[in-house]
Parts: sequence; structure tokens; C-alpha cells
Amino acid sequence: MWTRTVNGRALHFYLAGINNQNFLMRDTETGTWWQQITGKAIYGPLKGAALNLVLSDEITFGEWRSEFPGGQVLAPVPRYVKEYDDNWEPEVAKLPVVINFPGTELKSRDVVIGVTVAGAARAYPWETFAKQSPIVDRVNGTPLLLVLGPDGKSFRVFVSRIDGSDAEFFLNTAAGDASDAKPGWALLDTTTTSQWNFQGCAISGPSSGKCLDRVPALKDYWFDWRNYHPGTTVYKH
Amino acid sequence: MFLRQHAPLWTLIAACACLVFTFILWPNLRRWQKALLVLSLAPVVFSAVMARLNYFEWMFHPIDSAQFLPQAGNKLDAKEMVMAVRFDADARAYPISQMAYHHVLNDVVGGVPMAVTY
Repeated sequence: MWTRTVNGRALHFYLAGINNQNFLMRDTETGTWWQQITGKAIYGPLKGAALNLVLSDEITFGEWRSEFPGGQVLAPVPRYVKEYDDNWEPEVAKLPVVINFPGTELKSRDVVIGVTVAGAARAYPWETFAKQSPIVDRVNGTPLLLVLGPDGKSFRVFVSRIDGSDAEFFLNTAAGDASDAKPGWALLDTTTTSQWNFQGCAISGPSSGKCLDRVPALKDYWFDWRNYHPGTTVYKH
Repeated sequence: MFLRQHAPLWTLIAACACLVFTFILWPNLRRWQKALLVLSLAPVVFSAVMARLNYFEWMFHPIDSAQFLPQAGNKLDAKEMVMAVRFDADARAYPISQMAYHHVLNDVVGGVPMAVTY
């Protein structure tokens, strides 16, 4: 997700090409071509410009609903309802992959969580992540906390620091707070022994009221992540 | 990219040129030569037309005017995945099953123009 204001002007984008499961878009204002995955203008009058990344979540509707009861949901367009496919992932997974990276640890269609910190990229295989969550890892000197949500499908990545000091987190299934979506789910940090919710905010304990910094992360196929981040490392435990 | 950018103009020029040659040559051609010429005209004219159309938007129609429902007023299953963004007090969810089809949506969240892409 990107902001679409460039040089003080809000651009309007439209689909202009498909590129290996990412796409190219053009803006109606200048006709410049932009790459969806990088937000960069690759051809045309605005070539070289870059859109700003907006922090977004890929979470379940149930999780979102519990966090933002006053929020709005995009309504389906009646004309295209038959095109929407809840089960599109298995269908797409069958498509042939044009780019392959034989010799790398993962298979092309393995799902990963991709994170970049100050230019250094790392991929976390989803299967591994789901089993080991919460994961505390270090990328380019920054401690990261990767968390699978109470619903087993939502995920978020945070900077694993409380008040500037590195922190370790564990899943605390014993206790919980009634305001959580699933009472009983909370993270516990070893530094202040506070309880934290899936939004990365402490709900009880000495750190109560504080929130961890979010890190943008992308759930992607390995081949795509590796294609755009050739120097990426892969998380191993 | 250079070809894509300039295709609409140059295919049009090529199609016009072919049509002009066709008219000039027509009286002097035998019947089988006329048939051949018409057949070869077809892909040239086709290219000129297709270079001006966005067939990606035929496959994946854009959302003309996005409507939003309050979270209580829609029929999504709790397990369905959404892309979620929040700016100030404006929290929006874009179901991935819809965005995987439309691919791009120009929206304004909390007063900030944003491009939702999937």
C-alpha cells in the first residue's frame, strides 16, 4: 500500500500490466509507469520517483473487527462478485512460476514473511514462523519480534525494544485480559514481565500503555521475494 | 518499455500506411493478391486497435467508485483475510479476495490519498 501524492499532486493509478504476479500501473496524470512491488516509477515523465510505503496489515477480518469496531470495509462491487474468489490462493499456487531459484533453500511457491531493515532483507518461511511464533530475531543490528495472531492466520512484525532496550517475548497463554479478542492470549516480555496484546501494546504490568514500533512486512511467495531482494537471507532455527 | 509507450502511435502510422498502399495498389491487383492483402491488413489494424486498449482492465476491472460498509454491515467470514490500514481515526479493511481481483484501488484514508495494491 502506498501514498499516491507525488510532488504535491495526488495521482490516480490504473492497472497497466502484469509482471510475474506483481503488476505495473500507470497514473492518469502523467502516464508514468510504476512498479507495484517497489512503488517506483520506472518509465515516463516521473521516472525515478518513489511512492511512500504505508504500514498495512494482512490479518483476518475477525481480528480486524475486534481491533477497529468503528472501521469501514470495502463493499464488494455487485457486478464483479462472481470474480471474487475466497479460495484464490490454491488456484494461483498451481500457476507455473516463470522465475526459479534452484539451489536456494526454499521452493518457489513457499510462502514467506519478508522483512527489510535498513536495506537488509530476510525471509521467514511461513511454516517455520507459524510453529515457532513468537520469533525474536536480529536483522542488520535491529531486534525484531514476529508474532502470529491469536487466530493463527494474522501476523505482525515489531521492533523488539522497550524504551530503547532489547527485549525478549514469549507466548503467555495462561493469563489474559477480557478486552482481548481471545481472552487468554498475550505476550510476556522478560524485561518488565508485562503482558502485551497482538497490537504490540502492553495491557498490564510496568510497561502498560507502551506500544512497540511496527515494522512493515510482506507475506509473499519465495520466488517473488527473492527476485526483488537478491541479497535476502533466510531465517533458520 | 519504449515499445509499449510508443506502440499506440506507431501501430497507427503502420496501419494507415498499409491502408494507403492498399488503396493505391487495389486496381492493379489480381483477385488472389487482393485476398492476400486484406488478410495481411487484418493483424496490422488489429495491433493498432489493441495498442490503444487496456486489456488488463478487461481481465481485472477497476472499481469505479468504491463503497464502504461499517464492519457490522457486511457479510465477511471472520477467517477471511483483509488488508488493513489506519490513519488517524479512519480504519479501513480491504478484503483480499476482492483486491486480488481488482489489484489496485485509489482511496483516501484519514484525508491521505493512498493506493491499495495487491
